[in-house]
Amino acid sequence: MKSFLDRTVRLVFGFAIFALLVAGAASYRWMAVSDESNRWVQHTHAVLENLNGLLFSLLSVESSARGFVTTGDEFYLAIYDASQLNARQDEAAVRSLTVDNPNQQAKLPVVESLIAAKIQLTEKVIGLRKSQGFEASLNAVRDRHGQEIMTEFQALIGTMKDEELRLLVMREADARRRTQQARVILLFGMAVGVLIAAGAGWSANREAAARNVAENAQHEGEDRFRDLANNISQLAWMADSNGSIFWYNQRWFDYFGCTAEDIAMPGWEKGVHHPDYLERVLDKFRRSLKAGEIWEDTFPLRGADGVYRNFLSRAVPIRDAKGKVVRWFGTNTDISEIQQSEKNLAGSEDRYRGLLEAAPDAMVVVNQSGEIVLLNVQAEKQFGYNRDELAGQSVESIIPEGFAERLVADGTRTAAEALAQQIGTGIELSGLRKDGSEFPIEIMLSPLESADGVLVTAAIRDISVRKDAEKHLAQTEARYRGLLEAAPDGMVVVNKRGDIVLLNARAEKQFRYWRDELIGKKVKSIIPEGFAERLIADGTRTAVEALAQQIGMGIELIGLRKDGSEFPIEIMLSPLESTEGILVTAAIRDITVRKEAESHLAQMEGRYRGLLEAAPDGMVVVNQAGEIVLLNAQAENQFGYRRDELIGQRVTSIIPEGFAERLIADGTRTAAEALAQQIGTGIELIGLRNDGSEFPIEIMLSPLESTEGILVTAAIRDITVRKEAERHLGQMEGRYRGLLEAAPDGMVVVNQAGEIVLLNAQAENQFGYRRDELIGQRVTNIIPEGFAERLIADGTRTAAEALAQQIGMGIELIGLRKDRSEFPIEIMLSPLESTEGILVTAAIRDITVRKDAEGHLVEKIEELNRSNEELEQFAYLASHDLQEPLRMVASYTQLLSRRYKGKLDSDADEFIAFAVDGANRMQRLIQDLLSYSRVGKKGQELLDISSDGALQKALFNLSVAIKHSGALVTHGDLPDVNADEIQLIQLFQNLVGNAIKYQGPGIPHIHVSAARNGSPKWTFSVQDDGLGIDPQFFERIFGMFQRLHKRDEFDGTGMGLAICKKIVERHGGSISVESKPGLGSTFSFTLAAIKKKP
Amino acid sequence: MSVAVLLVEDSPGDVRLTREAFREANDDIELHVACDGLEALAFLRHEGPHFNAPRPDFILLDLNLPKMDGREVLAQIKNDDHLKTIPTIILTTSIAEEDIIRSYQLQANCYLSKPVQLEAFEDVVKSINDFWLTKAKLPQRSGDE
Repeated sequence: MKSFLDRTVRLVFGFAIFALLVAGAASYRWMAVSDESNRWVQHTHAVLENLNGLLFSLLSVESSARGFVTTGDEFYLAIYDASQLNARQDEAAVRSLTVDNPNQQAKLPVVESLIAAKIQLTEKVIGLRKSQGFEASLNAVRDRHGQEIMTEFQALIGTMKDEELRLLVMREADARRRTQQARVILLFGMAVGVLIAAGAGWSANREAAARNVAENAQHEGEDRFRDLANNISQLAWMADSNGSIFWYNQRWFDYFGCTAEDIAMPGWEKGVHHPDYLERVLDKFRRSLKAGEIWEDTFPLRGADGVYRNFLSRAVPIRDAKGKVVRWFGTNTDISEIQQSEKNLAGSEDRYRGLLEAAPDAMVVVNQSGEIVLLNVQAEKQFGYNRDELAGQSVESIIPEGFAERLVADGTRTAAEALAQQIGTGIELSGLRKDGSEFPIEIMLSPLESADGVLVTAAIRDISVRKDAEKHLAQTEARYRGLLEAAPDGMVVVNKRGDIVLLNARAEKQFRYWRDELIGKKVKSIIPEGFAERLIADGTRTAVEALAQQIGMGIELIGLRKDGSEFPIEIMLSPLESTEGILVTAAIRDITVRKEAESHLAQMEGRYRGLLEAAPDGMVVVNQAGEIVLLNAQAENQFGYRRDELIGQRVTSIIPEGFAERLIADGTRTAAEALAQQIGTGIELIGLRNDGSEFPIEIMLSPLESTEGILVTAAIRDITVRKEAERHLGQMEGRYRGLLEAAPDGMVVVNQAGEIVLLNAQAENQFGYRRDELIGQRVTNIIPEGFAERLIADGTRTAAEALAQQIGMGIELIGLRKDRSEFPIEIMLSPLESTEGILVTAAIRDITVRKDAEGHLVEKIEELNRSNEELEQFAYLASHDLQEPLRMVASYTQLLSRRYKGKLDSDADEFIAFAVDGANRMQRLIQDLLSYSRVGKKGQELLDISSDGALQKALFNLSVAIKHSGALVTHGDLPDVNADEIQLIQLFQNLVGNAIKYQGPGIPHIHVSAARNGSPKWTFSVQDDGLGIDPQFFERIFGMFQRLHKRDEFDGTGMGLAICKKIVERHGGSISVESKPGLGSTFSFTLAAIKKKP
Repeated sequence: MSVAVLLVEDSPGDVRLTREAFREANDDIELHVACDGLEALAFLRHEGPHFNAPRPDFILLDLNLPKMDGREVLAQIKNDDHLKTIPTIILTTSIAEEDIIRSYQLQANCYLSKPVQLEAFEDVVKSINDFWLTKAKLPQRSGDE
């Protein structure tokens, strides 16, 4: 070791020195180089200097010459000479210096010549000065040539200087570089050398130190061993790394009865070893030495008393820090006695072994050295070894890691302490089978005192399965976690104590927490009520029971978000077995929307309920199972139940037949389909009241979507009355048929399609058909025109409307008999309600006779009209034609009277007077008659005229008479009337004229007025305060030629009022008089008001 | 200068009355009489026995005439360039509107109805005289043929 160390160190040092030398050499060389460079630099400097010197010298030559020229002072000549000399010297120097530089050398001849020239010149100048004085020399000085030379010289020098400068720069740089390099090399070399030296020194130091330590340790160890060895009962010894023992403990000497010197004698071993064993022992020992392995052997040794005893010998190698064996500590233990006691122990050991064997787990007993001392058959099986393959082996061969370290005393604690720490705890380790396969094991350690010290009994349990299970569980858990995260609902896993163990992202979102904010917290913090109570074992039942009760049911609770807001949730629980016990997984669904929908639906349902109650018909809502879900008050009344008596009951209890069958899904079709078939149609069924009575109903179905599925709403109408009516109608129809037959007229009943539905015997006779020939036939077969058109709904009006227009009116039409002959008929229509709709009953009357009569009548009337007309015409003509002769008579009698009055005798006068009078009267009569006849014949069209205006005109016509009589005629508001103006004027004129004529005493007062009196006609009144009329004459006075007074009392034809009557009657009115004799009369007549409203 | 008036009237009684009435009104009137329409036209056209008839200053024409109706005469007079300048006054018992209209349509210069009463009749004649012979200007009788 030492030598090795030394060698290394020496080597290193040698290397270091070598490196230094190299460095030194290198730097020396480099320095030399750099030196050279520097020299070159200096050389260049020198050249430059000389060049400058040269220049200066020449300039000095020039200036000194000038000086002399100027002053003539000899002083300057001295300088001139000196300068000259200098110049030559400098030039020489330059030449020699630039020997290496061909460029510069080339220039030198020029320089020389220039110098020579210059000097020549200056000589000349000086000579001149000397000889000829200032002026002459001045001229020479002024000579440019000198200047030119100078200039050229300067330039050349300048060029040379530049060259030198360039070189200078180069060389300086070079020199610098070299110097730098040298420095670097030097430094580097030095550094390397130093480093290596340092390294070497350090490692040497370290080695030394380590060696020291090792030596110390070794010494210490040795000392300790020595101490120990001297205190134990065994034989102990120390050997060096070669195996040569250099120390024995006292016991050794005691046992063998020898001294160290004795042992040192060769062949001593032979003396103590049993010859049979010696070779083997030595051999084994050597092998151990070589391998550096613990040596152990059992062999006899002869003691001082000559007895061979079995010694268990052991030597352990002591390694240094590097692991090199430096010492061997050995012991020899007399086991002869032990062997004996061992036999004893074997007995108990057998027992122990028995226990061991019987143990269910594998048992391995390990000693402090970590060697397997004992193992049972289970252990054999577990590890796949045979007992003896393992006995004595290090436990590490079956439990590579974890066991030994934990247990074996490692210098820092005793085996006992180590063990104490492990006892009782199941330690999971990895076991290694013989075939190399590993399997997980759990070991439980317990100490075992034995003669060999504390042994460790390890109960080894193969936990492959458990590990698998755990792994599987972990996998499952991992998968479970995956599922958890993927779940659409929020998932929260809660343990028995109500702590949240796990939650997924969805739950985070729902409750707006971060995962880590919730894990470990009580589930109460997100679900304040309802969860914990339901689940957590509370002493009266286990978690399992509690859970079992809740599993599967969706429980509605309130969730509490992080921000404190609440929201409705539905949780579904399921148990989860885990290594931590039963956990509860809660799938949490945010049912806010659903709740809203439910509330909305509830609202809708509320409204629906409202509608239900308000409906006029009974409303019953039935679910798909046929149970009544809802009903309104009308339904209650209809069926005589209270609501609660019916809700939940089957609908068949109120509608025994027909409802359920029609609606309820019966396996062949769904409720929806079933319903679809029934919707809208009113179905007649029988309803059953509470009291058992039945009544006819008509139901109308409509579907209703609800949270409970499709419900059916049935509107139930009690059609008892209708049914009665129908029955009644049926009866009526029967009776009607009877009436029909009994009717005197032909009766035909026609339906809306125009077909004959019914007819009676008279109709048969009338039309010459048999009943069955007509029933179903169109009515146009017997009444071709006029019937159908009038009656049948034609798209623009219903049959009812059509009929309404015709009812009551007798319509004249032509009937067509079977023999194609026609005859006039009059039909009277009346409607007839029937189950088939509105039918029309036509009473048909054969009006042939009437028609004849009518025709006859018409003829007659026409005749009369004709004759009337003729009469009127006649009257007119007569009057008109009578006028002519009458005029003659009247005129000539008047002429006679005029011309011959007094010329003839008085009789003649009287006769003529009577004649004249007669003629005049005749004229007046005929005029009035003419007027009378003209009223009808010459009457104008009736127009809307002002009666006021007519009166004014009449009064104008009477103005003479009014003035003459002084009569006062007043009138009220007179309306517009529908009349012939001329005739109205005539009317007023006659009446007012009469009033004036038949005046009483005093001034006649006449008043004309008009009043409506609620009638469509106006009643006009002409009131006077004249003589009045005796009531018995009220009628007569309106007759023709009627006079109430003698001719000499009042003049007049007696036609006036007849004319008035004719006029009034022509206007469709009537005339009358009221009068009191002596008080006056009021003549009243009526006239139509104007047709249009004003 | 005396005034010549042609009276076309079939009733002698009326003729005499008219003559008496004119005598009352204007002494200077020469009243010529034609009993029917044909005679009236012959007179106007100086035909037959009337070759020397004077041209009347105006004509009094009754409507209801035998042989040729007064309306026809009127039409002929007024269609005759020669005769139409003679004022033709219808003097008739008819007060029918259609007679009045027809007459004026046929260009009668005036329509008068004969009153029934004598006095009234005399008034009418007087009015004719007053108006037509005193106030109205008549075309001069020219010696035309």
